[in-house]
Formats: sequence, structure tokens, C-alpha cells
Amino acid sequence: MNDDARLQDIAKRLGARAAERLDVDQMARAVVEGLREQPAARPSWIQAPWLRIAAALVILVGGALLARQLAPSRDEGHAVAHLVTDDLRDLSADQLRQVLNTLDEALESGRTAPSDSTLDDLDEQLLRAVLRSLEG
Amino acid sequence: MAQPHPVSAEPLLDAALIAAWQRGDEQAATELVGRHARALARFLAGAGAPEADLDDLVQETFIRAFRSMDRFRGQCQFRTWLLTIGGNVLKDHGRRASRRKVMPLDEAVRDGGGDPHELAEAREAEARLAAGLQELPRLQREVFLLRAQQGFDYEEIAVALATTPGAARVHYHHAVRRLKDLIGGKL
Repeated sequence: MNDDARLQDIAKRLGARAAERLDVDQMARAVVEGLREQPAARPSWIQAPWLRIAAALVILVGGALLARQLAPSRDEGHAVAHLVTDDLRDLSADQLRQVLNTLDEALESGRTAPSDSTLDDLDEQLLRAVLRSLEG
Repeated sequence: MAQPHPVSAEPLLDAALIAAWQRGDEQAATELVGRHARALARFLAGAGAPEADLDDLVQETFIRAFRSMDRFRGQCQFRTWLLTIGGNVLKDHGRRASRRKVMPLDEAVRDGGGDPHELAEAREAEARLAAGLQELPRLQREVFLLRAQQGFDYEEIAVALATTPGAARVHYHHAVRRLKDLIGGKL
């Protein structure tokens, strides 16, 4: 008999004597008694503390996600500034000067014109500045 | 409580007994214990269950199995499923006891008939195999016992242990090689 077969032969006998000593009828009675005495636990645990813990976790995670979405993002502001810089880089010196003038005039007009003023209140120079800024 | 299952000349299949138990037939549970208790005891003893605790472990395994019977969907034989539950029960027991006892040789030799010398040699080999099995990872040990001791095929073992037949085969061969290394010269 080779080693493999011998190993299998020994394995088949392993525990056989211990199993022979087992009183099967008594075991069956003990099992049935045990099942009667300790009826199967229903999954009531789902309803009590675990459910509360799960709900608390959902609220916490959901709240954190919502707060994260509502909070202003530094990255977003940085991205906008980056795009404006790119646009300005494409302009010629004259165009840049024009933009700066437009900004100056718009700021100046903002200082002089009250918030409830209309176009009728603007003089010719300011109107021209606004039109120029609208033309881009 | 439902009526006991009808007595018939043909032995009922495990599936029929399980269905009867689920309808509340205690006699069906008794029958299932009678059919599988010794195989379970052999498996547990082979897997390292201390003999003094064997009855309790067998009982606990059956109770656990009957209580979770709704999870058994006939994916493998009832016995294979029962033995894997036995493996879990033994693992939990091991955590509690944290010590495993291999049956001492003198105790093994004490009883039984036949040629005392041959008997002693056979039991010494069993004790060595039992000790060698304790050196294996749990999965290898269980695959080896399910295959070599209980005679299940790899497909059956794979379903019971939630693995593939190929992986079960590899675990078995690793177990055999390791056991030969551990005890091979003394087989």
C-alpha cells in the first residue's frame, strides 16, 4: 500500500471509536429537547439597537455629504481665476489697456451713480463707457 | 405540532425529513440525528475535537443546523452541510477552550480487540495523523477530512465550503503533501 492509500485508510478510521461510543438515541433526544428549550431566535435584533445604529450612520453620512456639497469649494474659485488668467493672456497690449479703461470707467460710474439710477441719469461719457463694456 | 411522517418501507430522503422537520415534526429531527450523528462525530474527532467534549459538540452542531435549516436549500447533501457547521462549532469551541487535546495513545490502546501489537500500531498512526491534521490550515484540514474520511467528491466539497472543485482539489493535495511531510516516514 502506498503512502496516499495508507493515509486515506488511516483517515477513514480516524475518530471511528469515538463515534462508536456515541449514544445516538440519547443524542437525538438531547437535540430535540435542546430545540424545544431554546426556540430559534427570530431576527428581532434587526428592529432594536442595530436599526437605530444603522439609521444614525445614514444620517451622519448623509449630513456630511450634504454639508460637503453646500460648502463653497476653494478649488472651484481657484479654477475660475485660472480660466480668467488664461483669457487675459490671449489679449494684446492694446486690448488689455482697453479692458482696464473699461473697468476704471465702470468703477467710476458705480461710485457716482446710485443703485436706483437709470440710463437716463447717465451723461454721454458714462453711457459710452457702459456701451463699450457691453461690447466686450 | 404536525403529525409524524408516515412509516414506509422506503427510507425517506433527507430532503423529505428536512421538510417534515420544518413543518414541526420532531420525529424527523430524531431520524436525521440518527442518520448523521456518527459521521459528524468522526469528522469532529478527526478535526481535533477533544473526546470529552464530543457529545456536546455534536449536539450543538445539530441544534445550530436545525435552527438555520431555512438557509439550507439543497445546494449540497445535508451531511456535507452539517459537517461544515460542525467545523464552525469546533472553531468556536477552540476559541473558548484555546487548547486542543489529541487522544493520548495509552487511552487509545486501552480498548478494542484483535492483535494488541497491530492495534497499537494502527492507533499510533491515527494519533499521528490527528496531530498532523492540527498543523494544517483549517480549510485544508476540512477538505482532507471531507474527501479522505467522509468520501465526498470535489464538487460536493466545493459547494459546502463555498469554493471551486479545482480549489478543493488543490487544498486536498496540499494537505496530503503536508501530512506526508509531517508524518510520512512513520505511516
